[in-house]
Amino acid sequence: MRSLRIVVVACLLVMTLAVPALAKTELVLWYHSGKPEERAVLEYQVKTFNAMQDQVVIKAVEIPEGGYNEQVQAAALAGGLPDILDLDGPFIANYAWSGYLRPLDKYITPQLKKDLLPSIIAQGEYKGKIYALGTFDSGLAMWANKRYLKDVGARIPVSVDDAWTFTEFMEILRKLKAHPKVKYPLDFKINYGRGEWFSYGFLPIFQGFGADMIDRKTMLSAEGVLNGPEALAAAAWFQSLFAQGYADPNPPGDTEFIDGRAALSWVGHWVWQPYKQALGEDLILIPMPKFFRQATGMGSWAWAITSNCKYPDAAWQFLEFILRPEEIVRMTDANGAVPSRVSAARLSKAYQPGGPLNIFVQQLQKIAIPRPVTPAYPALTSYFAEAIDNIISGADVRKELDQAVKRINEEIKYMGLK
Amino acid sequence: MMRRRELVTQVSLFLPAFILLLVFMVTPFLMAIVLSFTNQRLIPGPVPTRFVGWQNYVMMLRDSQFWAGLKNNFVFVLVVVPLQSAFALALALLVNAKLRFTKFFRTLYFMPTVTTMVVVSVIWSFLYHPDGLVNRLLSSVSFGHWEAVDFLRNRSWAFPAIMFMSIWQGVGFQMLIFLAGLQEIPEFLYEAADVDGASPIRKFWHITLPGLRNTITFVLVSTTILAFRLFDQVMVMTAGGPQDATYTVMLHIYNTAFRRLNIGYASAMTIAFFLIVLAVSVAQRFVLWEEKEG
Repeated sequence: MRSLRIVVVACLLVMTLAVPALAKTELVLWYHSGKPEERAVLEYQVKTFNAMQDQVVIKAVEIPEGGYNEQVQAAALAGGLPDILDLDGPFIANYAWSGYLRPLDKYITPQLKKDLLPSIIAQGEYKGKIYALGTFDSGLAMWANKRYLKDVGARIPVSVDDAWTFTEFMEILRKLKAHPKVKYPLDFKINYGRGEWFSYGFLPIFQGFGADMIDRKTMLSAEGVLNGPEALAAAAWFQSLFAQGYADPNPPGDTEFIDGRAALSWVGHWVWQPYKQALGEDLILIPMPKFFRQATGMGSWAWAITSNCKYPDAAWQFLEFILRPEEIVRMTDANGAVPSRVSAARLSKAYQPGGPLNIFVQQLQKIAIPRPVTPAYPALTSYFAEAIDNIISGADVRKELDQAVKRINEEIKYMGLK
Repeated sequence: MMRRRELVTQVSLFLPAFILLLVFMVTPFLMAIVLSFTNQRLIPGPVPTRFVGWQNYVMMLRDSQFWAGLKNNFVFVLVVVPLQSAFALALALLVNAKLRFTKFFRTLYFMPTVTTMVVVSVIWSFLYHPDGLVNRLLSSVSFGHWEAVDFLRNRSWAFPAIMFMSIWQGVGFQMLIFLAGLQEIPEFLYEAADVDGASPIRKFWHITLPGLRNTITFVLVSTTILAFRLFDQVMVMTAGGPQDATYTVMLHIYNTAFRRLNIGYASAMTIAFFLIVLAVSVAQRFVLWEEKEG
């Protein structure tokens, strides 16, 4: 009698536990813990999504940014990837190449595709298929101190097409250098150190001169591209800025621009809040100058569905939700990044046409170039950043670039991509 | 019966450490040997992992960065080990003297050693800055004749700067070992020498140094191994630059494995480097032991 009761109770318990599990699809999501504001929005979005429908439950797991990639790599090796995860732009190709991600093409409607910034598609695409979509992108341009520009009588560009020409840019730098309050006119954020910033921030200079990290057609060789005459010119120009005192090869801190020792700051959208607080109305955004062509960086964290995921349709429901224009703006209002959809940019005070950061949207629509989408990218960026670092320290430009090309090509061969 | 219980105790005490060593030292090492003959990647791709024979080792012979790193490693060891050990001995003699406040100074000299290397490195990056304390100091003692040097971005200064800082940071550890060694030397030897009217210098050469022989052996061998592992400082302060002036083998292994995701090649370098360090340690032991018997 007694044992029967236990069995009944046990059955009931199992049933109550099992019923919701049968009705709802549970999906695990991993995300890197970025800024606290960014985290708060994502948590809110997960909660809202879980409450607004009763088929899918998202379980979000936050992983510290420092070890995020290592964690994901380890999980990939062990077959323990979650259903949904966010990945940093340049890594997407490597994961797609490895077969850990599901293509998203069948979910992306033509309207959505048209509304997304071209940079977002370019970053998520590998061999003709889209593997990841971001709710925001990054922007790289120059922040300027309006007072100094006025002092030297510099023209203030109003759009990407209106950008400074190369000669104009050099003329302005020369005048700014002579300004009594300016120590180094151009702040390149060298204090970020040898790492991804060097590729993200300075590859556009090479592209502006007509060079690149790798031959974009074959993605198999850097010969003549990273050490051709255009690349040598770009590197020599870049080096001369440090040698002639236009930029500080070793900034003592992160505050050169805020303290007024620099007049221009070559950096991304992420400094907007601190710069705004320090300079107020004097802060303006200057589009990338027209070297021989105009180029800028792009790429940020993007969402992907793994091949581990058993219910990709359910996972897409969540991505579709956070890709809604109003949800995108909720995120970009918090982290300051560029909204990934044109319709979302229109809803954002900072990024709408006429807004203070609209230059970023224009750049991403017109002149942004993704970092090379190839599984060899980790090697490319590592050798490129090393060459840049040595060039800043005054090394022989030709020797550095030749060496980077040799090492990149050897790595590509070793990886069996050829 | 008693024996058996003892054996059980022994095994149970020995087992936890043994398992930990097995899992975290022996197994990874054996795996590295196997991986060094493959083209394994950190994120495996569609190109399957396969055995590549000695290819990784052959590649190492032509890898200029590996050799640059190895050269720097040896320079670092040859400069830092003798200097740091001599300096540590001097400090130990100082704080061993019967003076006031020796406890205070012992603590003071030991402080950099217990501070995390990364923190120390960041602070020294500021000190070495062109506008930093070191340049200011040199400028003021030379009455303005010193021209500010960007130590960490200068090809000839960067490595000496890192060596200097490493000696400063690590010296407290060796000082402590020497201090323990000094206190082992029986007091009556010094008293006898005093009676014979020996000078302090003669006492040092004939009592202190011979008394410290075992300690010196230990300090030299352990410092050498630690010096070969040079990584944190260069990672934080220069990332191996400028132009590989401060590059080390450990940094190259790290960059290869975790930046360029090439586990196979990184494993091969790990094994080669292990054998080199092992050879140096064995040679060192051999030399120092011979002296002891002679």
